[in-house]
Amino acid sequence: MTARQFVFPQAGDDLATLAARELPDLADAAQQLLSWNLHLAARRSTGLLPSDVVFTEPPPAR
Amino acid sequence: MLDLVIRNGFIVDGSGLPGRNGDVSVKGGKVVSVGGRAGEAQRVIDATGRVVAPGFIDPHTHYDAQLCFDPYAFPAIEHGVTTVVPGNCSLSLAPLRIDQRDSFSRMFRLIEEMPEAAFDAGVDWRWGEGFSGWLDALEQNIALNVAPLVGHSVLRMYVMGPEAQRRAADAAEIRAMADLLRVCLEAGAVGLSTSFVDIDEHYRPVPSRWAAPAELDALSAVLGERDAVLQIVHEFYDTELTIARIEQLAELSLRHGITTTLSPLFHTNGNNAGVQRVMAAVEAARARGAAVWPQVQTRPIDISFTLEQRSLMLLTMPAWWKVASIRDHAEKLAAVAAGRDALVAEMNAMSRRPNGGLGAGGFVVRDVVHARNNDLIGRNIDDISRERGTSHGDTVVDLALDEDLGTWFIRASIGHDNSPVVGDLLAHPFVHVGASDGGAHVGSFSTFGDTGYLFSEFVRGTKSLSLEAAVKKITLDPASIWGLKGRGLLAAGNAADVVVFDADHIGRGPEIASDDFPGEGVRWIRRQEGVDAVVVNGDITWSADAGYAPEVRAGVIATRD
Repeated sequence: MTARQFVFPQAGDDLATLAARELPDLADAAQQLLSWNLHLAARRSTGLLPSDVVFTEPPPAR
Repeated sequence: MLDLVIRNGFIVDGSGLPGRNGDVSVKGGKVVSVGGRAGEAQRVIDATGRVVAPGFIDPHTHYDAQLCFDPYAFPAIEHGVTTVVPGNCSLSLAPLRIDQRDSFSRMFRLIEEMPEAAFDAGVDWRWGEGFSGWLDALEQNIALNVAPLVGHSVLRMYVMGPEAQRRAADAAEIRAMADLLRVCLEAGAVGLSTSFVDIDEHYRPVPSRWAAPAELDALSAVLGERDAVLQIVHEFYDTELTIARIEQLAELSLRHGITTTLSPLFHTNGNNAGVQRVMAAVEAARARGAAVWPQVQTRPIDISFTLEQRSLMLLTMPAWWKVASIRDHAEKLAAVAAGRDALVAEMNAMSRRPNGGLGAGGFVVRDVVHARNNDLIGRNIDDISRERGTSHGDTVVDLALDEDLGTWFIRASIGHDNSPVVGDLLAHPFVHVGASDGGAHVGSFSTFGDTGYLFSEFVRGTKSLSLEAAVKKITLDPASIWGLKGRGLLAAGNAADVVVFDADHIGRGPEIASDDFPGEGVRWIRRQEGVDAVVVNGDITWSADAGYAPEVRAGVIATRD
């Protein structure tokens, strides 16, 4: 399949817990994750929704 | 004696096979014969030199509200549309509790841009709360067929109340939603619709967006029990997210054996590569055996708006949105004057956005209130601003105040206007032609005429599709995708939904303002061009000679059974 790797949030997740689970070896993982998911950055006040797609790898090079 | 014979036409039966000359005969609402010479009939349509095709099916509409007060979904039928699928994007008028009507109405009116006065005057909730009651009420007074979706947001509201917009559902709530979905499918729903993008008037995500994947999986399992369809509105403005949703749909399709469809898929010249990647993802899903249908509309994207009412164009500008939301005209006018600085700043910021095809400079004055401003019609804001030495924002506000907020602007060709490329997309075997949004966004653009435009632009114009292929795309293809048995194909025993048209002239008329809705305000519509007659379940419902048959209500709830 051609989609970037992504996950859905689990119950109780925020970006920090999701980042810690999905990217345990990455320093500043939550910030990294946010930079890969600008659709979430654009509406931070709402927080993660259960249906959100969260990419766990960077966007493809243009 | 037969009820109706459509004599001596060029029959394009919907199968995609080459057309042929002959008669089509009808009795008791069903097709009796296709081809050959039929016998005597009570009514005859002379189709010499005309195409005789199955009635067109519009798979993405929001006629839910309009059908409550307009059984014709005017002017859909005269374009050849005989079956519509309402209830898309997670929103249907049922099942809904009485105390949820107000909050739902606000949501529907905002998302689908239905004027409050029209909605309130036209939707009387006479069916009570349940889905079957709604269908019963509808079927008593419709002139075209309705294949309804049930909305995921509505299911959540019914089961979870206000919690539907606060959290994921627990196991018991998911079971309750699954049970409710079963009831709706049993009543006649052709599937479930959900939304991953929409917001309510408080900028809160709609209920369906609070559903965890497990909830959608459980509901998809119910769809699988009846081979029903899952429709989503996805993050269509983002290629990466669109591809992720295609993968999600593919998984659901494979796990539960269901057909899925996502809408809309637009082409823009700035994102040609993205559209190609989306189609590659669709092809990959297909190769795995998944049924994932992207819906592609035929018409280019044009948006008209006035500062008098809320519009899609103002949604991302909070100060403008706030002003447009004020109902009292004098109060609104005063708010524009008092909030001038913020309004100007927002409009100018819009113009400065990188790659911003929606900059205010591109707004074209479509219509004016005062004759002294007639010379502005057809000119864009950038041009007027240069002449006046003002910013885009100042020009718009000055004009608004001068015209008592009544000026109409249009932003034309926002996208989806590269006809050769769009034509190739429409012709793709995995593309579902649809996404008209019929009955929605009534003050922003006309959702009528997409079928005529398919023929005028992409059959006669770019020649992307043959006549037969184009007919199949909007008849047998949608009937097959949505499981509408006995429709979409001219064949003996099938429902007699028929359109007679002139292949050399079928098209869409100019976009015109109409004040026919209840309440104040106008909507944009297009009248047919080149259509001769439209038959719904055997009854001539519209003809070029006689117009709409006033007492004909031949529409039915078109179920999958």
